[in-house]
Amino acid sequence: MDEPGVILKMEGITKKFPGVLALDKVNFSMKKEEIHALVGENGAGKSTLIKILSGVHKPDEGKIFLDGEYVAFSNPIHAIEKGISVIYQELNLVEELSVAENIYLGKENRNWWNLGKKVLIERAEKLLSKLNFPISASEKVKNLNVSEKQLVEIAKAMATNAKVIVMDEPTATITEHEAKQLFSLMRGLKEQGVSIIFISHRLEEVFEIADSVTVLRDGKLISTGKIDQYDKNRLISDVVGRTISDMYPKENTVTDVNAFEVEELSVPGYVNRLSFNVKKGEILGIAGLVGCGKSEVALAIYGGIKAHAKKALLDGERVSLPTRPDISLERGVLLIPEDRKSQGLVLLLSVTKNIVLPNTKFITKLGHIRWKEGRKISGNLVKKLNIKTPTLSQKAENLSGGNQQKVVLAKGLVRKPKLIIFAEPTRGIDVGAKVEVYKLMNELANQGVGIIMISSELPEIVSMSDRVLVMHRGVQKAILEGENINQENIMAAAMGG
Amino acid sequence: MLKKFLNLLRKFPIILGFIGVVVLFSILTNRFFTLSNFLNVFRQISINAIIAFGMTFVILSGGIDLSVGSVFALAAVVGASIIKGGNVFLGSLAALGVGAAMGAFNGAIIAKLKLQPFIVTLATMAIARSFTQVYTQGRPITGLPSTFREIGRGELFSVPVPIYIMFAVFFISLYILSNTKLGLYTYSIGGNEEATRLSGIKVIRYKVTIYTISGLLSALSALILTARLNSAQPIFGTGYELDAIAAVVLGGTSLSGGKGTIIGTLFGAMVMGVINNGMNLVNVSPFYQQAVKGAVILLAVMAERSE
Repeated sequence: MDEPGVILKMEGITKKFPGVLALDKVNFSMKKEEIHALVGENGAGKSTLIKILSGVHKPDEGKIFLDGEYVAFSNPIHAIEKGISVIYQELNLVEELSVAENIYLGKENRNWWNLGKKVLIERAEKLLSKLNFPISASEKVKNLNVSEKQLVEIAKAMATNAKVIVMDEPTATITEHEAKQLFSLMRGLKEQGVSIIFISHRLEEVFEIADSVTVLRDGKLISTGKIDQYDKNRLISDVVGRTISDMYPKENTVTDVNAFEVEELSVPGYVNRLSFNVKKGEILGIAGLVGCGKSEVALAIYGGIKAHAKKALLDGERVSLPTRPDISLERGVLLIPEDRKSQGLVLLLSVTKNIVLPNTKFITKLGHIRWKEGRKISGNLVKKLNIKTPTLSQKAENLSGGNQQKVVLAKGLVRKPKLIIFAEPTRGIDVGAKVEVYKLMNELANQGVGIIMISSELPEIVSMSDRVLVMHRGVQKAILEGENINQENIMAAAMGG
Repeated sequence: MLKKFLNLLRKFPIILGFIGVVVLFSILTNRFFTLSNFLNVFRQISINAIIAFGMTFVILSGGIDLSVGSVFALAAVVGASIIKGGNVFLGSLAALGVGAAMGAFNGAIIAKLKLQPFIVTLATMAIARSFTQVYTQGRPITGLPSTFREIGRGELFSVPVPIYIMFAVFFISLYILSNTKLGLYTYSIGGNEEATRLSGIKVIRYKVTIYTISGLLSALSALILTARLNSAQPIFGTGYELDAIAAVVLGGTSLSGGKGTIIGTLFGAMVMGVINNGMNLVNVSPFYQQAVKGAVILLAVMAERSE
């Protein structure tokens, strides 16, 4: 089993879970010093494959060869020792410890009377400079931003002499600019002999960074090869299983009546006197780097955080800024929050209960909830939004990301909305679900709803917005229209230019 | 039929535990499996079960209420002092009022100031106990009217009154948790408070309600014990918070909130009660009894974990 240049080979991997065949005789092979993209929709089997590779699950069938040697991992620690490190989306760092302590956590060379902090920091500094990572070894992790924390995770993996590093959607929660930096560091790692498996839903990125690509769908290997054998259309059709003619369908008509208008909106510490309007039928994009205040704008309009404004008009009527979400709901203002797991859903509750949660008043009499009507409402929305769930009483945590996001949307659609704020509407969901979300946005806009779309994904901002408001450090830097909406202009304004 | 039963067992493994302890003590002693002993066990259980039902609301919402034992004592002595003066109705109402007020106070501080329920209720646990001592000067209040004593000692169709009260509270709680807004929000606040708030639910108001229920139910339980013993004592309720929490956890409710059932709590309280009663019947030394209870809780939690 010795193929020159092949660092990792997984052969005929099959894994069954109760009721699902998660992986069906999947082959995966990657070369030394390559960045290999693993793509597929949610539920395609990517996570399962990675969990098998990293020793979390054992395969029912199949073999793994690392550097020509047959390996069978009994647990994740075993896999790490053999040189396979996974960097999950949810980072695993101790916030209160320094970068150096995190990198060498559990591997400290120390006696109980001597913590050897100084040596640790020196070692870490050396490692970080070798990797070209711009972070200080003595800094506490809690003072770093998400992308810097990712670098700590990578350094941690490198400290264990990782041969293969798996990065699970590293760009999902960082900005475009930070992603660019990450990519150049990844290329640096490659030159130092590391092989990287890169998981991402953003196909643009796959073409930018990957040398090879493997596509999974429904637990099966669909295709694999050098990146230059693919173009965007082939990759999409391999991932989705059908051709999608248009990734960003845009078919809304803007009217000239204002749906919402605000003057000098301020959120202390985040947003400084922002004024804008959104017309009925319009999609207003709000872009900017992480921390520019765009997330706070979403919450402020909805009454999710304390804010004030000189003047606000909803549907032509003067309104005070809402102080609580229920006030907004009553007025027909909805928020699709940016983080569906922490803000959008109660994962332990069923699909129906999640959908009913903000809408109990429609099915309640004297405090008694008529669940039969609740199930009718949720059943209709599940059908309308094509939410894939075995039953209405399935817990939200068991759905895939795209379907979870649709449940969040469904929560809002029970009422007749006037203004909807979509915050990061397609973060971490697959191509097919993305297109469905965009279509829903169009549909709502054409019903006369004003739509504010706050997003860190430039392609969707560029393609879906009628106008784009760009923020930088809490203030408005630009409002772009028509021809002027392009990635360059947005980035320039977002960087403060 | 059998399949339904097996499904029930899978959902509530504590029922299996209950059957287990019942069978065990039935084998060990012939004094256990008798109607009169069962009525006795249930009467004893009612005190803990009623507190534990309130505790279930609190824990489901992601909180904890350590003050229930002290609130129990304060409600008992305030109620008893008025009842002793002759006004049973007013006294009972005062006791319930004290319990509800203490609970509301807990809830308001926890929800409004966003403080840890553990710390807040630890503080009110000390405060309520202190109030109790001051109010009674450390002396028990005894000699209560017979009409009042019926709550604890009376029987209806040969079944002790506390058992009726316990089941009434059980069914009301069951109804609230599965069929009302309050119930839905209790689960959703415990499952994800931020998502609940952003869904337009007035989380503060519901949290206050939830802790009020807990305080109210410990006061109700206190009335039963006071009536049964014909006395309210300032040391009442010491350690009751632990028994209540144990019953809730034994019943499969997650301490991190959002997951659990009131049926589980009922069986959790029954298992604890049967073990107490059974150990007395087979003459296990009281010195060992706490250890056995502790071991049972550990076993239950481990069994749940391994699923």
